Amino acid sequence: MVQSSRQRNLFLAFCLVPTFILFAVFTLYPLFNGLYYSFFKWSGASSLAEFVGFENYRRLFSDEIIPSTIWHDYFLVITKVIGIMILSTFFAVALTQMKIKEAPFYRIVFFFPNIMSVVVIGILWMFIYNPSLGLVNSGLELIGLESWTQPWLGSEDWALPSLVLPSVWAGIGLFMLMLMGGISNISKSYYEAAEIDGATEWQQFWKVTLPLIWPQIKISILYIIITTLNGSFIIVQVMTKGGPNNSTHVMGSYLYEQAFVKYNFGYGATIGVMILVLSLVTVLIMQFLMRREKVEY
Amino acid sequence: MQKGSIFSRTIVRIPLIIWSLAVLYPIFWMVLGAFKSNAEIYANPWGLPESFSFSNFVDAWSNYNIDASVFNSFIVTGLGATLTLAMAIPTSYALERMRFRGNRLLFTLYISAMMIPMVLGWIPLFFLLMQLNLLDNIFGLSIVYAVSQLPFSIFVLTSFMATIPKSLEEAAAIDGMSPYGILWKIITPLSTTGIITVTIMNMIQFWNEYFMALIFLQTEENYTLALAIDYISNETQYTNAWGTLFASLVIAIVPVIVLYAIFQRRIVKGMTEGAIKG
Repeated sequence: MVQSSRQRNLFLAFCLVPTFILFAVFTLYPLFNGLYYSFFKWSGASSLAEFVGFENYRRLFSDEIIPSTIWHDYFLVITKVIGIMILSTFFAVALTQMKIKEAPFYRIVFFFPNIMSVVVIGILWMFIYNPSLGLVNSGLELIGLESWTQPWLGSEDWALPSLVLPSVWAGIGLFMLMLMGGISNISKSYYEAAEIDGATEWQQFWKVTLPLIWPQIKISILYIIITTLNGSFIIVQVMTKGGPNNSTHVMGSYLYEQAFVKYNFGYGATIGVMILVLSLVTVLIMQFLMRREKVEY
Repeated sequence: MQKGSIFSRTIVRIPLIIWSLAVLYPIFWMVLGAFKSNAEIYANPWGLPESFSFSNFVDAWSNYNIDASVFNSFIVTGLGATLTLAMAIPTSYALERMRFRGNRLLFTLYISAMMIPMVLGWIPLFFLLMQLNLLDNIFGLSIVYAVSQLPFSIFVLTSFMATIPKSLEEAAAIDGMSPYGILWKIITPLSTTGIITVTIMNMIQFWNEYFMALIFLQTEENYTLALAIDYISNETQYTNAWGTLFASLVIAIVPVIVLYAIFQRRIVKGMTEGAIKG
């Protein structure tokens, strides 16, 4: 290309600089500043920020609610990973391996909740769990299990498990499609060879399908972990606001309460640092645990 | 291939049908609930309405500020998506096509921001917006939204631009076209498919977004749809106006259904690719 290097640099700056400035101001600066705030005691008025060193971190370790918020987050991670992976693997295999005519219909339907707003999903499920009108309790009554009915979201024991189902409901479609992408790349000849060797369909699933879609499974699990640790508080905020009696508070919803309801901004930032550290460490550990030689037949 | 005998196919269909019902029934029922009177919702929460009435929609629209929040959501969605493109297209082009020192580093920086929990940044962002007089302001929220979707948009656009043959740009440069002209008249039109995918994904994201709006908007007249619905939902605990709540949920979900009906393939592709970056 015939152009002076000055013109080229000008064009490069035109492309990169405005975007980067906005990115730096609205993403990088707040992240680093959040780290900085975690060393201050601060209720929002800018003149009153008081440097307290590691005081917020000491408070973090002695705060009795913190361990339960961490546990609640990991409870959601574990149950979501298990629920979503089992169901979406089953559906993905069913829709690719069995010759089901109406497969596109299921694909379209299962994916739809993935693009619904968390607010809509949360409110819909609040009604499904509604003690007097909801589908869950009316269903239980219908089949004669009245003793099992619960005020689901109002019960300290059941509120947190009740959040799993909406999350699984909303998540299945995306992961099913990711796995279907993996399965459709597997050459038919592997199955034909397995067939000749007398492998049952069940054996074919464990020996052929699963090892060959391991990369997709790994990515799906990591993605569920990241989105849950970084975003579980949204559905919590919509459905229970952390209640009843803190029994559904996750790290993010507790941060929101501390910072934006109680105006402990410094302490809120400290919780934010904890979320950052835990999610990065968890992803690294999981990547290590799930590493596996790439399978090629 | 004996796979999928009629028997096993029938067995497999059972969970598929159950899950389809689990997805569709609550959604249908939410739509039906929007047309029922409150008395009917209580008497027969899961059945068909006796007569279709639009009074819930009228109530939500005029008594619960849904009209203003629909308008705000449209502004935030449109402005946010436009701003994202204005930022992402030139940067993606430079990152994909031009050699300069720090190219890989800058790309990695943008992409790794997709994995960072932004909740930590929201506290300082709150005060930054306050200083810039952009707190409780839908334009401020649009900027925040646009920047938040920048990493995803750059990720999709760079991989899309990589598929455009270089010879077109070279020919245009030989004809004397400036790099600005190449970006605007050659690359942008050729990237239309990628741009549309990114824009639909961003628009759905902005239309649905709840938590940043909760933090950065404060007065009712600035509420986006998600916040207005959340507000009605909190009120419903006392007023029991379920019909109005359902009507507002339907208003929120219709644009998403329309986009999904038109762009189903692109949305699916955009989301699975966005996830695979992992």
